[in-house]
Amino acid sequence: MQSNRLGWLLLAPTLLILAMFGVFPFIYVLFVSFHQWNPFAVNPEMMFNWAANYRRVVFDAQFIASLGVTAAFVFFAVVSELVIGYALAQAFMKDFPGKAFFRTIHTLPLIMAPIIVGSVWKLMTTPSIGIIPHLLDNWFGYDLNIGQSATAAFVVTVIMDIWHWTPLVTLSLIAALVSLPPDPFEQAQIDGAGRWQIFWHITLPMIRPAILATVFIRLMDALRTVDEVLMLTGGGPGSATRYVGVHIFKEVFPRTNYGYGSAISVVVLYVTIVVCWLLYVGLIAPRNKKG
Amino acid sequence: MGFRLKLGVSALALAVASGAAFAQDDEFWKKAAEPYQGVTLRGVTEATPPSNYVREVLAPQFEELTGIRVDIETTSWDQMYDKAIKDMESGTGIYDMIYIEQDIVYAYLARDFLTNVTQMLADNPQLKAPTFDEGAFTTFADYFKDEDGGLYGIPMEAFIKVYLYRTDLFNDPEVQAAFKEKTGHDLKPATTHAEYAEIAQFFTDWGKEHDEDLWGTTSQAHTGHPASWYEYVESIAPTFGVYNWGIDAANNYAATVEHGGRMNSPEAKEALKWFLAMRDLAPPESVQSTWTEVASTFAAGRAAQGIVYGENAAWIASDENQSRVVGNVGVALPPLEDGILAQVEGGEGYVGYYDGGAFGLPVTSKNKEAALLFLEYIGQDSVQAQWALAGSRITNTATYDDPEVQALDKELGGYFTMLRDSGKLFAGAPPYPFHAQVREAVAPIFYEILTGTIEPDAGLDQMAERAEQELTDLGYRQ
Repeated sequence: MQSNRLGWLLLAPTLLILAMFGVFPFIYVLFVSFHQWNPFAVNPEMMFNWAANYRRVVFDAQFIASLGVTAAFVFFAVVSELVIGYALAQAFMKDFPGKAFFRTIHTLPLIMAPIIVGSVWKLMTTPSIGIIPHLLDNWFGYDLNIGQSATAAFVVTVIMDIWHWTPLVTLSLIAALVSLPPDPFEQAQIDGAGRWQIFWHITLPMIRPAILATVFIRLMDALRTVDEVLMLTGGGPGSATRYVGVHIFKEVFPRTNYGYGSAISVVVLYVTIVVCWLLYVGLIAPRNKKG
Repeated sequence: MGFRLKLGVSALALAVASGAAFAQDDEFWKKAAEPYQGVTLRGVTEATPPSNYVREVLAPQFEELTGIRVDIETTSWDQMYDKAIKDMESGTGIYDMIYIEQDIVYAYLARDFLTNVTQMLADNPQLKAPTFDEGAFTTFADYFKDEDGGLYGIPMEAFIKVYLYRTDLFNDPEVQAAFKEKTGHDLKPATTHAEYAEIAQFFTDWGKEHDEDLWGTTSQAHTGHPASWYEYVESIAPTFGVYNWGIDAANNYAATVEHGGRMNSPEAKEALKWFLAMRDLAPPESVQSTWTEVASTFAAGRAAQGIVYGENAAWIASDENQSRVVGNVGVALPPLEDGILAQVEGGEGYVGYYDGGAFGLPVTSKNKEAALLFLEYIGQDSVQAQWALAGSRITNTATYDDPEVQALDKELGGYFTMLRDSGKLFAGAPPYPFHAQVREAVAPIFYEILTGTIEPDAGLDQMAERAEQELTDLGYRQ
């Protein structure tokens, strides 16, 4: 009984912080989402409007479009980060000259604030002063202008995200690979298994939980990307990179549409949970059942 | 007593008198600040040359004089609003001073975010500096006053958005001859849109033919940032006779022609097409350019002419560390459609944007008295001249007469003279408390027009409808 009480006492600070910064804000956002509230309207007070905001979300073409480009962004960014991150993790498992240096350099983007990442990429991609359009023009005669081409802007935002967040995937997978026991690999080699067979039947199943955890983290992060993209393209050209995070930002802050913005946030949270659940059900649950 | 002796005695007397006056002024600041020792004031503003001057020069000066520390946070335009509005909305009182851009002041007043400086000084005479005078400001201060004349912000920057052109190119005999041969006209700063377009086309062609990085015009045409929308509604549309964004506040905030507005009027459509045509003659970075990048493009010598925010005029024309066109900058009124100038001089409309801002005192501030002292300090005539030299801004009438400012005016091609003499032809944003809301509602359509996804005419029709819908949702339009 006493140890139970002590346990709760020790947990109390964490629970308090979680409640203050997680639970209460979420409840507040949920509460606001059922109101019409724009402080710069004729009536600046909050007015309860039932589920009108949610009804509007469903028929909001701009929101649906932003959800579509976000899905594409998340897919290309997360899959690329996973593939490149795994390749780099495998590379860093081996010894080579300058390994420590490269690993440090490779990790640097991770410690940069997203707003800085966006600024740096903006400088690098601005026609006339940016190194990337300059090189692409010199080498391939390709005229990169992310203020003009929707496809180019989309691709650059994906590459920027890959550059920024692949190190996180690499570090997670290095941790997973390091913890693998050597026995199954040795036995497989003795049995004559090839590299691909070893990867597919041994490595991948064993690091699956780490991959899933990493994918969940990156998926949730990518779904709420704001700063980098806002700095790089402002959501443009047109609405080509107006991802849901950017869309919510523009609704809530400049437009001060607090009620509707909160409703969109709740819907995006719901979508994130559903996507993660589907991933879990599709990839983890069947394995557990078999086991 | 000989003349020289008289002169010497007079000079000495003047020096003693001025010294005594300064000593008296210093005494006021020290005495008034006594109750606020240990206080740290916090302000938030946009990172612009005038704001940087406040942070780097005026704040330390004030601290040395009074002992009151002043931390000025300079950040991006979006972040500044985000931080200031959140602070005032939630009443946290983090900031004791906030930058109020002229276009947002109506929204802040509608929400009672700001302290009436005039009233506060009347209520606290012990805080009134002898060197601070509300009457010393230019008429730009009127934008920050309520109906009773109460001042809600100390003007800290004021500019007009002018037509800049390269004098080295316009005065080059070879260029002049080529222009005459090609167009049949003499090369001179444009006064009409047709002339401006002709010059723009000429220099863009010239750049291609001579393999130079030179284009005919700048263009603030970012495809995802409100800067492009501002360029159109505040700088281009008025020159075609479409004022106040095409919204008729007196007519139930109508925006569509159908309801009496002008946002999608034939003039507005003509203005938009002209804007798009100029964008196509501008350097490739223009589709990613906000106001800052437009100035950089001009300063880099990549454009022969452009409509540029005045806050950048000084460094473009005089700072060799930042600009390649020092000494080669001319200033003129923006190009206009026929009849617009006469209309504006007759009191209807304006020819361009009178931009600027003030430092306001949020009602949520926890150090109002100390903050008021700082606001008075930056509003004095004595600190204005150096500030004008650093940031090409003038907010006090006396600043125009300062010899150093007059010398800079010559370098700027007469920009300050234009600000003084022609400033009345320009206007700030319309007095709408729904400024950002309507902007964000219609801007996405505007960006689609810029990318070519929507035709300009159809896009303006949609923008006008969307604006009316937003105004209805906000309760302004019945």
